[in-house]
Amino acid sequence: MNRQRTVVALGLLLLAAVWLAPRSSAQETSGQTQGVKSGDYNVQQTIDFGYRANEINGNIDTYDTFVNLGSGVRLFDYSLDMRSIDHKGLFFDNLHFSNFGYGGDPNDVSRLSIDKNKWFDFSAQFRRDKNFWDYNLFVNPLNPAALNPVGSATTGCIVSGPSSANPGLPGYCSNPSVPQTNTPHALDLVRKMQDYDLTLLPQSRIRFRLGFSHDSDQGPGFFTSDFGAMPDFPENYSFRTSTYRMGVDFRVLPRTTISYDQFLNYFRQDNAVIENPTATPQQYGFQANGVPVNLGIVWSTQTPAEALPCAAPIANATTTPPTANPICNGFVAYSQVGQPRDFMPTERLRFESNYFRKFETSGAFGYSSSDNTISNFNERMIGWTTRTSSPGSTAAGPVEAKRVSVDADWSGVYAITNSFRIEDFFHYNNWRIPAQWNSILGSLFLSQGAVSAGLNGLGAPVGNFDSSCNAGNSFSGPTCPNHAANSAADLVDAYNANFLKQDMKSNSLEFEYDLTKRISAHIGYLYTHRQIVMSTFSQTLADIYYPGGATASSSNDYLAARGNCAVATNCTANPDGSLTFTPPPPTSGPSVDSLSISENSLLLGARARPTDSLVISGDFSFGYNDAAFTRIDPRQVQSYKMHATYTPKPWATVDGAIEIHENRDNVYTVNNLEHDRMYSFNTMLAPKPQLAISFGYNYWDVYTQSNICFNYSITYLNPTPPPNTLPVSTSPPGVNTAACTIPGASVGASGLDALSTYASTDHFAHADLMWRPFKRVTADLGYGGSFVRGNTIFLNPLAPSGTLDYNYQMPYGSIAIDMYKGVSYKMSWNYYGFNEAGNTSPFGLAPIPLQDFNGSNITFAIGYSF
Amino acid sequence: MGRVKVFNSALVLTLLIFVSWHPAAAQAQKADSSKSAPQTAATAPAKYAGSDACKVCHADEYSSWEKSPHWKTTLNTKQGPSHQGCEACHGAAANHAADPSNTAGLFDFTKASAKEINDQCLECHAGGTQHMNALNSVHAKNGVSCIACHSPHHSVTKEFMLVKAQPELCYSCHLAKKAEFAMPFHHRVNEGLIQCTDCHNPHGTEGPKQVRMASTQDAVCFKCHADKQGPFVYEHAPIKVDGCTSCHVVHGGPNAHMLKVSNVNLLCLQCHTTSFSSAPGAPSFHNQASFFQACTLCHSAIHGSNFSSFFFK
Repeated sequence: MNRQRTVVALGLLLLAAVWLAPRSSAQETSGQTQGVKSGDYNVQQTIDFGYRANEINGNIDTYDTFVNLGSGVRLFDYSLDMRSIDHKGLFFDNLHFSNFGYGGDPNDVSRLSIDKNKWFDFSAQFRRDKNFWDYNLFVNPLNPAALNPVGSATTGCIVSGPSSANPGLPGYCSNPSVPQTNTPHALDLVRKMQDYDLTLLPQSRIRFRLGFSHDSDQGPGFFTSDFGAMPDFPENYSFRTSTYRMGVDFRVLPRTTISYDQFLNYFRQDNAVIENPTATPQQYGFQANGVPVNLGIVWSTQTPAEALPCAAPIANATTTPPTANPICNGFVAYSQVGQPRDFMPTERLRFESNYFRKFETSGAFGYSSSDNTISNFNERMIGWTTRTSSPGSTAAGPVEAKRVSVDADWSGVYAITNSFRIEDFFHYNNWRIPAQWNSILGSLFLSQGAVSAGLNGLGAPVGNFDSSCNAGNSFSGPTCPNHAANSAADLVDAYNANFLKQDMKSNSLEFEYDLTKRISAHIGYLYTHRQIVMSTFSQTLADIYYPGGATASSSNDYLAARGNCAVATNCTANPDGSLTFTPPPPTSGPSVDSLSISENSLLLGARARPTDSLVISGDFSFGYNDAAFTRIDPRQVQSYKMHATYTPKPWATVDGAIEIHENRDNVYTVNNLEHDRMYSFNTMLAPKPQLAISFGYNYWDVYTQSNICFNYSITYLNPTPPPNTLPVSTSPPGVNTAACTIPGASVGASGLDALSTYASTDHFAHADLMWRPFKRVTADLGYGGSFVRGNTIFLNPLAPSGTLDYNYQMPYGSIAIDMYKGVSYKMSWNYYGFNEAGNTSPFGLAPIPLQDFNGSNITFAIGYSF
Repeated sequence: MGRVKVFNSALVLTLLIFVSWHPAAAQAQKADSSKSAPQTAATAPAKYAGSDACKVCHADEYSSWEKSPHWKTTLNTKQGPSHQGCEACHGAAANHAADPSNTAGLFDFTKASAKEINDQCLECHAGGTQHMNALNSVHAKNGVSCIACHSPHHSVTKEFMLVKAQPELCYSCHLAKKAEFAMPFHHRVNEGLIQCTDCHNPHGTEGPKQVRMASTQDAVCFKCHADKQGPFVYEHAPIKVDGCTSCHVVHGGPNAHMLKVSNVNLLCLQCHTTSFSSAPGAPSFHNQASFFQACTLCHSAIHGSNFSSFFFK
């Protein structure tokens, strides 16, 4: 019905438009008005508002992630221009104010600029971005499907040998099967960006600049981590940055500018994660002992390597909600608070001069520091982690991280002759990040009362070492923590210090020569040296052991004499009955890694204008680095860029471009090859003011490969695998089933190696036709479409092809009619079609909604210019 | 280093010999010397007609100029008529006004080279926040002059006198970028939220690809993505050392969060396979056949953490 109504409305409006068009053309010319005179100003305003109707089918979350244009009344455009006619405005001579997107669109933007000739230039900008993000395959744990129903050909897990119907590998299974239908890292943030800049005396020899920016990014999102179970906690994001700018330009010397700038940045983050599972049925939560519990988002109960949240998470499926198995990874409460505050002052001195006609130079020197402090970090988790048999943990401690950066550059161009120039560019950058965290980590233990009552795992009360636990009751009160002889320290006070630094110097020397008036070329050499230093240091300052436990006695200090305090004389006894272990000072300093990289590149370039209508340019570089910081950092770099523009007529332009980047770190342990190749052409034809056509095509080819080592374990859980199935040691195509052969790799006995490959090609085509059949009617029809195809090595048999294969098409059309004295009517249509083309539902994967969406937006807008 | 010095020296010598020998260079030097004579003659005070004289014949151009920011040049009384009005850009026009067929001494933007045009514009526009690194402009080096993007008389934008609005202006040469921004995962440039010039300074920067620097002398990405900037106690070193482009494409791409590959674990394993690199290998209990295909499921603070060396939080 909705679609019918939309079509009828569309038809009526189109008829009205066609009916109005010839009438309008007989009337007075309107279009862009000359504005109105108001006092000393010429004032022009344009407003364009209307309604957008939206009909999208398919995955709305993906649509909102990509497009997010909804239905409703919108301000499509509003602009105000004021110009002082005699250039003697009272407060300003020119004002330009433009806006779009208000009323509910994800992007709202306002821009304002005001100037008063030689007195000031002022600009302001406000931008709002509603960033909704939920592409459901991203970071999806890809939970397996359920057990086969009883009576199936195979019992137990869904398994099958490779066949045409099921080319996949044996899948895991889960009981119950809990599909993850959204990305665990979904976001719904609103970013607001404000920028204000004022230049005083813009034409004088000394001019002053003041500026302020404020960015904020706030809203709900989700945060995942590893605590045995893998929870998806709701997190309130809040980042704010304020930047103050002050600067002055001195132009007292001829053709020379010296500038000084001071920047003061303040960053504050106020994220908070507070999770208290509710008792209502949840997507991922179940009750345990009457206590609501969050069992995380990974549900793979019969995974051979690691079952999550545990092998049998549901103790009783008949309750509402189902009752969880208490000895299962999960949470009953979690909170994390930490508020970074960062102050970043920066000073920068710059100059540029062409005082000497044959020698131009510019340079800069800057110093920046950053002091990031967190004084109130606190994390508390209560639940059950099977691998540590821990009912929870706490973490706290102050943080301070600094960054100091020194940056300098100098450029000089010396023109030996009118056609021969020597250019030199030197850049120095040195930054270092010393950081420290005094961590205080606590391990929680079950209360003695809980243990006495046989309670264990999720929902069981956690012990508190408080005044009720004392020597008078032999530290055996029901709320006291219950320790075993091998229990970890209750509190660990540690000092963690890390350091990262890079010192970089680079210099390029180039010779540029104009062979003729139409041909020039340059050749040069770029040398870069980087020194990277990293160090880590961690030192325990003190361990504190609380007393209390079933085997507590005065002879073992009521179980406080354990771990480092097993020999109590190593430790200091505290008045509350706990023991403190203080380790001896470290005998060695932090471990330091240092890497030096020298990079050498040959630079070549040429440009030619063989005829007035043809321009060709090319830039090439060939580099070699003697070391690589990461395995995918290139040791060999090649870059080719070529661009040609042919303008046979003033109204016709044909462009072609090739851009190729080739990177290699082809030492035999890595074998990394990468290429990024783009081939484009574009044509623009505007033979008449009433007709313009443009169309183009781009081919993008990306490839990357490298040797990887990884742990891989996949086995059937069926006691008796069906016939014709793959062997137990089945591995993905392209994987070496022998142990990892990369020297130095350590991924355990089941480590395999493979040549990790990723290849993606994109065919992008676009076209646009603008036609004015009548003086007052403008029609626009266009298309843009991306067709992506690719392949990669899949290590997880449940992984869909996702973004490897899809078509994303966006045709559009519009018709605009100038109706009467500045009044115009515009109707536009935009279609969005995103359709994945690969294997969207691998065998054995718990169903995840398809990412595809298709649908249209239609906007009806009235414009008025006056 | 020794080989590098030898190579440098050889390169310089070769070029100098080539330049001194090449006939075109000789011709150019001759042209220089021949041009110097009239230039000396031209040092006699040029005759200026004033903008009103230009208006008589070039009414349309005058009208557009009079409404443009270039009108402000008329206020520049200290530097005289050579910096005022039409003649500030087009040169002394008294002779031309007297005899319209006499265009000698006028600066013809349609015939001048890119460097000549740029020099002409930078007479006034050098320095400031945007043109401080004009010397390093990649555009200028590739023969792209100011008037390729700006049109003092026929601009279509109210600000900066551009011949087209962004991003279409940039797409007209950077054809492939249009395809990148048409990808489903992209920075909101086509939507008008951000502009190419938010990250790039087309007039030249001190860094490659004409990318701006954040006010904190860090990557421009951190102006918006401030929460990824740190400094952190536990830095993910490649981000600081090699930059965000280690893992992300910058304009737009086919993969979620503009990652370079489609599967997160393959991106991570490329570095986290121990083989004489600084990155630790993936541990033995990370079974890639199961849910570990998205490393950031657990290592969610992958851009840097203050509390976890494993980037858990």
